[in-house]
Amino acid sequence: MAARIWTRTIVIALMVASASLALDLGFSRILTDGSLRQLLMLTACNVLVAVSLNVINGMAGQFSIGHAGFIGIGAYTAAIVASQLHVKLGAQTPTLANSFIVVPVALLAAALVAGAFGFLLGLPSLRLKGDYLAIVTLGFAEIFRLLIATADVGAKDTLSHAWSNVRGPGTFFHALSVSLTSLGGPQGYAGPVDQGVPLYAGPFWILTIVTLMVALAWRIKFSGWGRALRALREDEIASAAVGVDPTRYKVTSFVLAAVGAGVAGGLMAMMRDGTPSVQPDAFNFQTSFDAITMVILGGSGSVTGAVLGGVFVTLSIKAIEYGQGTSVIQEFRSHAEWLDLNALRMILYSVLLIALMIVRPEGLLGERELFQKRRAS
Amino acid sequence: MTLILKNVCKSFGGLRAVSDVTFSVPERSIFGLIGPNGAGKTTVFNLVTGVYQFDAGSITLGGLCLGNLKPAEIAKAGIARTFQNIRLFSQLTVLENLLVACELQKKAHLFSALLRTRAHFDDEMAMTKRAQELLDVFSLRELADAPSTSLSYGNQRRLEIARAMMLSPKVLLLDEPAAGMNYGEAEGLKTQVRWLRDTFDLTVVLVEHNMQVVMGVCEEIHVLDHGETIAQGSAEIIRNHPAVITAYLGDDDVDAVGGDAA
Repeated sequence: MAARIWTRTIVIALMVASASLALDLGFSRILTDGSLRQLLMLTACNVLVAVSLNVINGMAGQFSIGHAGFIGIGAYTAAIVASQLHVKLGAQTPTLANSFIVVPVALLAAALVAGAFGFLLGLPSLRLKGDYLAIVTLGFAEIFRLLIATADVGAKDTLSHAWSNVRGPGTFFHALSVSLTSLGGPQGYAGPVDQGVPLYAGPFWILTIVTLMVALAWRIKFSGWGRALRALREDEIASAAVGVDPTRYKVTSFVLAAVGAGVAGGLMAMMRDGTPSVQPDAFNFQTSFDAITMVILGGSGSVTGAVLGGVFVTLSIKAIEYGQGTSVIQEFRSHAEWLDLNALRMILYSVLLIALMIVRPEGLLGERELFQKRRAS
Repeated sequence: MTLILKNVCKSFGGLRAVSDVTFSVPERSIFGLIGPNGAGKTTVFNLVTGVYQFDAGSITLGGLCLGNLKPAEIAKAGIARTFQNIRLFSQLTVLENLLVACELQKKAHLFSALLRTRAHFDDEMAMTKRAQELLDVFSLRELADAPSTSLSYGNQRRLEIARAMMLSPKVLLLDEPAAGMNYGEAEGLKTQVRWLRDTFDLTVVLVEHNMQVVMGVCEEIHVLDHGETIAQGSAEIIRNHPAVITAYLGDDDVDAVGGDAA
């Protein structure tokens, strides 16, 4: 059985890889509109955001509302690594060949750093539940964002000078603050010398990696490991009594969710046709909330549900942004200047979520999956 | 393996829930732990399984000290339990409830589940086979794919025991297995407990209010009241022990209405 699954996996992997490679090469010819290309890739990234949040919120039942923090950590890490590598490679226009060096290294770094923070944030989750854990995760994400957004960009010191002068706690903190400053403060990070973050990740990388991560999330769910997570969500004491160690499972699920978010953030930072800088405000509470909306709309605990939720939320955000640009709305707004369609989006989601909670409290799919096979017994 | 408690104490704030309790459960015996409501029986179970940490004394299983082990580690050491108020994984099916209890016997872990290696499938197959055998034993096979909440009360109790048995335990702690059972069901339970012990080479510790079950099946009984040991010995000794009768029925006519012996 294992061998057959392996063959099938390899065939599917090759198909996805070659299809996305073809798309990568012909993307600008197939879709001439750059914003549309951006939208497609962003949707794929958001699918990964939703799927990774689903591991911790849906499968493990730990309510985290700080997912943006992990996305941001991944985005900054990948942006820094990619920029440095880009300079080493000669700083020419990003090519597909070079992306095979830059993207894997940058994403690996993003995954590792985000995973490390996931581990740190997983530790309090052992003692905290529900609302209390939610507040800790929210605090984490906001601290991360504000540390970068409020960094004093006026400082004159250079990074290497500050770190070589560390002589104790005072100079250490100075060096630390210079490091934060080098991330660009509220203006965002645009590479070491402000030439912009190199945008190496085209459809090939984004589609293959997102597909891979979604497949991994699926396998987690339908393994003994996922079963143990669900059991833990139902009853912690009973799980421990049958040998499922809550500590190990909870912390690991935080790490896995953080790794997924970190990779998603890394892909967003390096996304072709995207903005060549990483802005701290892209990782505010709104981003975390959008991620939660994706998971809850699709159905907590459902991998395919998270995929649907990710697609729906991303498209609806863009649809409203697009609608704002149309002449009808522009005309209307000239009569009613108070009208803010971004605020309208929040109302739309609220109504949608409330309606969903009434009609289908378990979300679109509940915990079920599309394309779920009957278990062979 | 003998389960030995020595001078175990546990207080919750000012309340001494268990004080200076000492007993040893011989291997392959059926041991009863009884006492009126609030005597500390379930607390003793929670101390043995690591849900609570005891304040003083020691608990050992075959020489292994259980004092600093976490609940999951104690389960691994061979102690399985059921709960007074049934704790099943309600969103999981009957079969899945059993499969969760296999996690610590697995050779293949997260990584092989992600890669879907041969070890992962071998593990799943072996565990499913074992779970189905146990479902047969507890005649729950037809309900394997039903959600565990849809089961009748008696079936839920049986499923909980089956889940505990998935751990291949050396000691099985049953917390009020006869609660809510009628005379006939309780008689059936007695047979089942003996059968479990004989078939799986188990040591069974029973917390129970139903005297029909306790007196009928336990080879040795330990009686607690207000966290203290008041009597121990065979069913015959306990039945006529003055301290036990006082604890259950009160020591004068005025207190007698408070007795809750079955």
